[in-house]
Order: sequence, then C-alpha cells, then structure tokens
Amino acid sequence: MTHPIIRFDHATFGFPGVIALEDLSLSIPESEFVGVIGPNGSGKTTLCRAVLGLMAPLQGTLRVLDCACEELRCHHRALIGYLPQKGLLDRNFPVTVLEAVMMGRYGALGLFRRPAQKDRDIAREALAHVGMDHHRNSALGALSGGQQQRVFIARALAQQPRILLLDEPTTGLDLTAQHSVVELIQQLHRELRLTILMITHDINMIRSRVDRLVLLKTKLFAEGPPQDVLKPEILSQVYGKDLVITDKDFVVVEDYHHH
Amino acid sequence: MDRVSLSLIHRSPDHTVTTEFMLELLAYDFMQRSLLAAALVGSVCSVIGVFVVLRGLAFAGAGTAHAAFAGVTLAYLLDLPPLSLAIVFGLATVWITGWVEEKGRMKLDVSIGILYTATMALAILFLGLMKSYNPEVYGYLFGSVLSVTTEELLTIGGLSVVVLGTILLLSKELYFIAFDQEMATASGVPARQIFYLLLTLVALTVVISLKTVGAILVFAMILIPASTAYQLTHSLTQMTFYSMMIGTFCAVSGVLLSYAFDLPSGPSIVLLATSLFFLAVCCSPKRLHRIQRQ
Repeated sequence: MTHPIIRFDHATFGFPGVIALEDLSLSIPESEFVGVIGPNGSGKTTLCRAVLGLMAPLQGTLRVLDCACEELRCHHRALIGYLPQKGLLDRNFPVTVLEAVMMGRYGALGLFRRPAQKDRDIAREALAHVGMDHHRNSALGALSGGQQQRVFIARALAQQPRILLLDEPTTGLDLTAQHSVVELIQQLHRELRLTILMITHDINMIRSRVDRLVLLKTKLFAEGPPQDVLKPEILSQVYGKDLVITDKDFVVVEDYHHH
Repeated sequence: MDRVSLSLIHRSPDHTVTTEFMLELLAYDFMQRSLLAAALVGSVCSVIGVFVVLRGLAFAGAGTAHAAFAGVTLAYLLDLPPLSLAIVFGLATVWITGWVEEKGRMKLDVSIGILYTATMALAILFLGLMKSYNPEVYGYLFGSVLSVTTEELLTIGGLSVVVLGTILLLSKELYFIAFDQEMATASGVPARQIFYLLLTLVALTVVISLKTVGAILVFAMILIPASTAYQLTHSLTQMTFYSMMIGTFCAVSGVLLSYAFDLPSGPSIVLLATSLFFLAVCCSPKRLHRIQRQ
C-alpha cells in the first residue's frame, strides 16, 4: 500500500457530550477513490469536516497531508478541493461562472496577491475538464443544478488539489444530472489520479465506480471493496431489514422492490 | 448670490446658466468641502455595501449606526472627540454581532435587535444627561453635510483611504466570504479573520458617514447603491463598480439638490438613491430575463 494521504488512528469526533464519530481507524492512500456511505447522522459530514481541519479529534489522531488535522493551515487546506452539500444558491447572486471558479485559486494565492494570467488559465482548464468552458461568462444562477455542480467541481479543481472531498454531490439533481456528475468524477479520478472521498447516499450509483467503500454508523462499520461491504447481512444491520439487494445487485428498500 | 436666486437659475433650461450655477457653487469653500465629503462618503458606503448586501449583514449595519451615535452623545457629554467614541461603540457592536453569529448562540436578527435598541437607549440617556440642547449632536443624528469642517473632511478622507485601500487589497477574499464563507475556509482562505475585518470596515464606514448623512440614514447609503447595482449585473466586479458610481452620483447630486432647493441634505441623498433603486428594479435585466424565461 502507498503512503496514506489521510490517516485516522482511533479518532473520535464530536462536541462535549455528543459523539458524532467514534474510534475511527482508517488509512486512505494517495489516488484512491473512496465512497463514504451510511444513514443520516452516521458521521459522514463529520468525517468530511475533520479532513478539512474544521474539527479536531476529541481522542486519537487524524493526519492529513502528513500534518495533524488540528495543525492544518491555510496552505494545506488549499490542497483539499471541497464540494460542500448543495445549498440553496441565490439565483441572483452576481457571480459569473469564471469568477466562481477563480475563487478556487484564492487560497493558494494567499492574501494581497492578485490573480495573474496563469491563474485564469488554470481556472479555464478546470472549466474545460468539466465541460463548462463555453459557459464561463454566464451567470452562475442561470445554470441548471447539474451544471452548477460541474462549476463547483471545477472550482475545487482550480485549487490544483491532491484530495477531492465531495459531500453528497448528486443531492437535489435529476437522474440524468446525477449520472453525468458521477461519470465526471470518475473521469477526473482516472485522468488526474486524485485522491477522492465521496460522501453519498446513492449506493447504486457509485458501487461500480469506487475502489473502496466505507460504511459508517457513528463508527466504522465496514470498509473494503464494494462487493465485500454491500452484503445483505452488513447493510441490514446499518439500514434495517427493509434494505435488500436485488438479483441484479441493486440495493433497494424492500417495500419499493415489491411494488 | 443668495440661495433662492441660485435655485431659480438652476431651474432654467438654459445650459449656460446651469454651468454658471455650478461654477458659483464651487466658488464657496463650504460647498467644495461638502461635495468632496459627499463624494467620499458616497463611494466608501457604496463599495462596502456590496459586501454587506451579499454577506447578508444589512441589519448589522443599521445597529452599528445607532451604536456609533450613542458613542457621539457620550463623547459630547464627557467633552471628548466625538468620532473616537463613535468608533469604539461601532466596533464593539459589530464585533459582538459577529461573535454571536459565529457561535450560533441566537439568531442574528435577535442579537442585533437587542444591541440596536440598547445603544439607542444609551444615546437617549446621554442626551437626557446633557445640561443644555446641543444642535451639533443632532447634526450626527440627521446629517449636515453642508457644515462639514476642514478637520472633519480630513478625517473622512483619511478613513476613506483606509477602508477603500483595505477593500482593494483584500477584495478577492471579501468576495469569497460573501459568496460562501464555509467554502472559503475550506479552500484555505482565512475566512474568519476576513469576516471580522469586514465588520470592522463596516463600523469605520458608518463613523465616516455620520456627519454627512446622519446615524438614521447612513445605512441607506450602504444598502441602497449596492442593492441597485445588484439588480443590474451578474458580475461581482461590475456590481462593485456600478455601486460606486451610483453611490457617488447620489451623494453629490443630493448635496446639490439640497442646496438648490433648500432641503435637508441627508434625506435628499437617500431619496435620490431610493428613486434610482426602484428604477433599477423596474428595468432590471435579471428580472426581465427571468420573466422572458418564464
């Protein structure tokens, strides 16, 4: 196994009196595509915030990019491209697509330095990677949900990150847009060899695309290749007995399957 | 030439007479100071207003203005320089507001509402403790740009350079936290520090503007030009440029109108800006585009 770029060692996260994620030990090597799944409140977003250095462990340690997470400084964070959960974007917010993607350069540039032509070229390249360069002068609010997610992925890519952290990137998108965004993420992983951590509820969409699945339920419940994690006996313990795997290996809720 | 005859000349459709009117006005020292102060305040308020509007801090600014006025009244009571205590009160209010928002202890509008009314109560208390009526204090409440002194103009100029210079140096970080503070933090921008810096700039801007448009109306000058520009463009940099143009135009034109028609300066500036805002709403390319799409 190559050197881990992210390493949790018996790490516990939460707030005084509330444990969000307990005793997590997990190593993620460079260039791996990891899917993080689990029910609501299982600690997925906590894991995400911890990797970003926004939460320090109550116990244990977390090292990201060879640095203890509580010591992550701005220049470390600039190496982690982050796509937060899709919020409600004010459709009138006055920002063009290129301006939004350029923001990805700001952390790496540092204070007081103006973006140069090189930064604009990197932003354009990131837009080209996600197939949105022709929209660069459009208003961000005028784009569809799927196109906006592509722009936010481009913003993360403009950081020239070593780690790409995606928090439910397909939430709120229609089926076609979901598929297109996940395809894009897989393509980026293939082409750029980025370490990708993708938090999702959509097990069926990512099962054939990730190298490894991590199943959380306020602790590490299971991890490994998708076929080892997505077993009825494991899933039923986390999601309840209504969740079943069909003969075509799709994970569905039993009531829906029967109808 | 007295004020009434000047205003009669101004109403004439003859272009030459209007130019003469302008030249006459500019011959007065007090008018030069007033127009310069208005231009400075108009530009600073409208530029900081872009970040206030986009970051959702509108009500925080209104609270700061009233806190700054409480500082002015205390300064007059203690015979201290009014702007120094206005800065202290203004900064204390914005920083408490920012801290409350950051900690999520209570909703922002509730905390600002409490500070807003508490500082206004302090201002009224300090006014009540004064032994005699002091018209200068009321100048800070309602604004009196035509009576700006050279010393005050220098203070306004100095603070304007500080505020605009800081915005120019840190505009990319300020834009980013206005867009999404969490994303900015995650991207390696020191977003928390920039947020507190923005609050500090808001307090300084309010203090700069107190004498010109007054504590009651200062926030309109921060809010309205930026909100007008917001209607007109999809670009952050264009919004800032438009806001600055609108703010400066309204402030200078408002002073001229107030002189020509013998009106109070603060309301003249703000009502002119409000008229432009409604015009922009009606003609907003964004709104028209949305209607077309529907």
